[in-house]
Amino acid sequence: MHVEATQQILLLLIILFPLGGAIINGLLGRYMPKGLVTLVGVGSVAVSFALAVASFIELYGLGNEAVLAYHFYEWFSLKLPSGDVVPVNVGFLMDSLSGVMTLVVTGVGGLIHLYSVGYMGEDEGYPRFMSFLNLFMASMLILVLGSSMPVMFVGWEGVGLCSYLLIGFWYENRDYASAGRKAFVVNRIGDFGVLVGMFILVGVAGSFEFADINAAAMGGQFRPDFPIWVLGVAPSFATVACVFLFLGCTGKSAQIPLYVWLPDAMAGPTPVSALIHAATMVTAGVYLCCRLSPLFITSDVAMAIIAVTGTLTALLAASIAVVQREMKKILAYSTVSQLGFMFAAVGVGFFAAGFFHVFTHAFFKACLFLGAGSVMHAVHAHGDADIFKLGGLKKDLPITRWTFLASCLAIAGFPLTSGFFSKDEILLGAAAQIYRPDDALMTFVGWFTLVGLTLAAVMTAFYMFRLYFLTFTGDYRSADQSGDHPYDAHPHESPRSMTIPLVVLGLGALVVGFLGLPHVMPITGTHLHSWWSKWMHSSVAGQPVPEEMHIVNLASGLAFGAMAIGISAAWVLYRNKDTDALAEKIPARVYQLAFDKWRVDELYAATIVNPIKKVATVAGHADMTFVDALMTRWPSFKVRETGRILARLQNGVVQMYGAVMVVGVVAVLAWFWTPHSRIEAGFEGTNVELTTPQGLGYEYRWDANSDGEFETEWDEAAATTFDYRYDDIRGVAVFLVNVRSGIEQRIDVTDEWRPLPIESVVSVEFLSPRDTGFEVRLDGRDLLFRKPDGRTKLSGSKEIRLPLGKDGRLGPARVFSRPLVEATVEVRNAFGNTRRATKEIALPFSLEAPSHASLIRPTREVAR
Amino acid sequence: MGIGTYLALAAVLFGLGAAGFLTRRNMLIQLMSIELMLNSVNVVLLAFNRAYPGNHDGQVFAFFVIAVAAAEAAVGLAILIAYYRIKKTIDTDDATLLKY
Repeated sequence: MHVEATQQILLLLIILFPLGGAIINGLLGRYMPKGLVTLVGVGSVAVSFALAVASFIELYGLGNEAVLAYHFYEWFSLKLPSGDVVPVNVGFLMDSLSGVMTLVVTGVGGLIHLYSVGYMGEDEGYPRFMSFLNLFMASMLILVLGSSMPVMFVGWEGVGLCSYLLIGFWYENRDYASAGRKAFVVNRIGDFGVLVGMFILVGVAGSFEFADINAAAMGGQFRPDFPIWVLGVAPSFATVACVFLFLGCTGKSAQIPLYVWLPDAMAGPTPVSALIHAATMVTAGVYLCCRLSPLFITSDVAMAIIAVTGTLTALLAASIAVVQREMKKILAYSTVSQLGFMFAAVGVGFFAAGFFHVFTHAFFKACLFLGAGSVMHAVHAHGDADIFKLGGLKKDLPITRWTFLASCLAIAGFPLTSGFFSKDEILLGAAAQIYRPDDALMTFVGWFTLVGLTLAAVMTAFYMFRLYFLTFTGDYRSADQSGDHPYDAHPHESPRSMTIPLVVLGLGALVVGFLGLPHVMPITGTHLHSWWSKWMHSSVAGQPVPEEMHIVNLASGLAFGAMAIGISAAWVLYRNKDTDALAEKIPARVYQLAFDKWRVDELYAATIVNPIKKVATVAGHADMTFVDALMTRWPSFKVRETGRILARLQNGVVQMYGAVMVVGVVAVLAWFWTPHSRIEAGFEGTNVELTTPQGLGYEYRWDANSDGEFETEWDEAAATTFDYRYDDIRGVAVFLVNVRSGIEQRIDVTDEWRPLPIESVVSVEFLSPRDTGFEVRLDGRDLLFRKPDGRTKLSGSKEIRLPLGKDGRLGPARVFSRPLVEATVEVRNAFGNTRRATKEIALPFSLEAPSHASLIRPTREVAR
Repeated sequence: MGIGTYLALAAVLFGLGAAGFLTRRNMLIQLMSIELMLNSVNVVLLAFNRAYPGNHDGQVFAFFVIAVAAAEAAVGLAILIAYYRIKKTIDTDDATLLKY
């Protein structure tokens, strides 16, 4: 069904341009003039945007079923337990979903780069900032365009890194640096979830590619029960995988329980807040859910968890935003809340609607953040701006004011703005869930989501217009310079590079909603053409959009009512006012608790962070006392002590060194004065090869049978062979062998009777009484065995005779004897000193007794 | 005269040199003792060359030893003079700067 276009090098170039910009600005930026830094930083993203547009036009021409793909190279491959080898390809893919996301990332990102020229131009870290921002663009594009989980994960980690770097951009401030760390650490928890989810996916689907995973999900491969039970029920593979993936989404997209890093992330420069922490990176979780929507939709449990979590997050964050005093903080909680809306949409199966909210949110939230930045720039506020010290800025900042108002209307859901359409669609999804004839869980989730999101929408409209009225209407409260730390008395409109992005994004916030018109108009019931859902249909799964009039009217009515109530309340309480009127209307304790963000950070500190810190302290002490002191310092101390003692030998007196050398030379000479040798035997048939280590200047002569006559003359060869005869036998060696294990042992046997130690090679439990209790002695060269108790008759006689070379069997043991011979070698060294070495050798074969005919000793043939 | 006589002479010379080196504390005398030991080696080389006159390796090596001894004497005397300038003595008991 997918139309695969051939290798699209454009997809690679879209990523490589910002990456190259990041490298150039990062390595050379500080040596380049500012204009060149701007050209590289903004230009690379602009080119990337142009390429993205070109690719999207080509994709659009091919139709929404088409896919643009680029296979770069095979990164590595993985062997699954099943034996399958799964390749991990670095490949990029643009379909209708990632195409739109790429346009948003490069388009909004490009505008924010342009804005940064004005906002950050005077900062001494400007090249570094541009480099990080470009690196973020590259990572985000890898995340969006990656065709498989690992490639996406590279981007996922890359944007996390850039987020960390940019939050802590002004790292001289300890609070800002620790905010960056917090973001990073909290995201690690989520990344763990993504990894686990990824492994489950590849384990079931046998592929890392999104297309294969989704195909497997549609084929029902994720339906079987997971082997580990939870709470007495077996969840399906889909449920487990989705819950772990969603854990990753809660980290990256700031949902309960991992949302706490995002408000702190406002420590970064305002363009960073707009780009990373509002428009693009934090929506990566929603993007991932949409990317894997065929998988998510197979698990009702996971979907319910996502919907409830999203709704709770939307409510919690909105309730905090209502009472905050600082512009960026309000916008940060607003972002968390809006992300909750998106996940609620995902949770009720309206992936396209959730992603539509990502799309519209990117415009109005980026515009709001940039507007806040513009205000801060105008009044010279650092870090954040307290709205109770602002007011009346509509006179001095007309462009900022109008774009900010447009975005406020959009986020509040004012009719015909972009937020109106996207939020309406989400509420419609929640309402549809109620009327779906599935089960009680579905209905409950539907009600919960619908009511929760409506409340959150009321609060959204309220706090956004509270922010707007307190900032732009009334009188400028820092004008008389009498208050506590007032801002600049004479605010001014921002430069062109900052206002152009504001205007573009503000216009976008007003109009982009028309891409996603509702299927059915409320009240009139007219059917409309929704470009968005048709375009997304091929790449994103989802529940059917309801067309019943009562559902449509319910959703639209709630959305419109929420917007109207919120804006009206803000109008009454805050228009042209300069105090927080809400604080007087609600109980002070509740107000304070909400202002303290419901003390969630303190709760986490008490339950999780501090216990871990205590464990770390203990571990640190253990490290210092055990590893550092006992295992490192103590040995080094001992070595130093020993060295100090031995160093006394180096007394510096030359005669001493000379004397020691003479002693050493004398010792060496003494050792060489007499020769040293030993014999080793090797066997080849009945020939025995005798060797001895060759010494320099040594000569050898052999007496192989030790009869006192040397068979060879003095010679430098260190080896000889000898053919032993029966007469050469000097004794008998007796061996016991465990037949099963092969354990062999030589035992000592003499002419006296002594017990046969059969237990030394065979355990007692393997022996029968028949095999034990023997005594053994040598009779000549034969072995004699007997049982001393005399009760056991052995083959009619009292004793058993075992001739030399014959085997006897005792249960699992074998007993046999071997002829012993003795070899002698005499060695002579260059000084003329000699020494003898002898060795007993047990021959591994038996020697026959001579017959009468050969009693006369034959002449030996000795080979050297 | 057999080779043993020469070797005995060389052994005596070497022993005298070694004993002198180990017992005397005057650096100049120690250098002379070293020369004595080197020359005893020369005697050995020449004696063997005389006993086995097939080639002239022994004599060639004796020349090498003489050359090395000359170089060693030059370096040794230079060290001695430098040392004397610092310490105002040539007694080796005072030359213990390189201890532990």
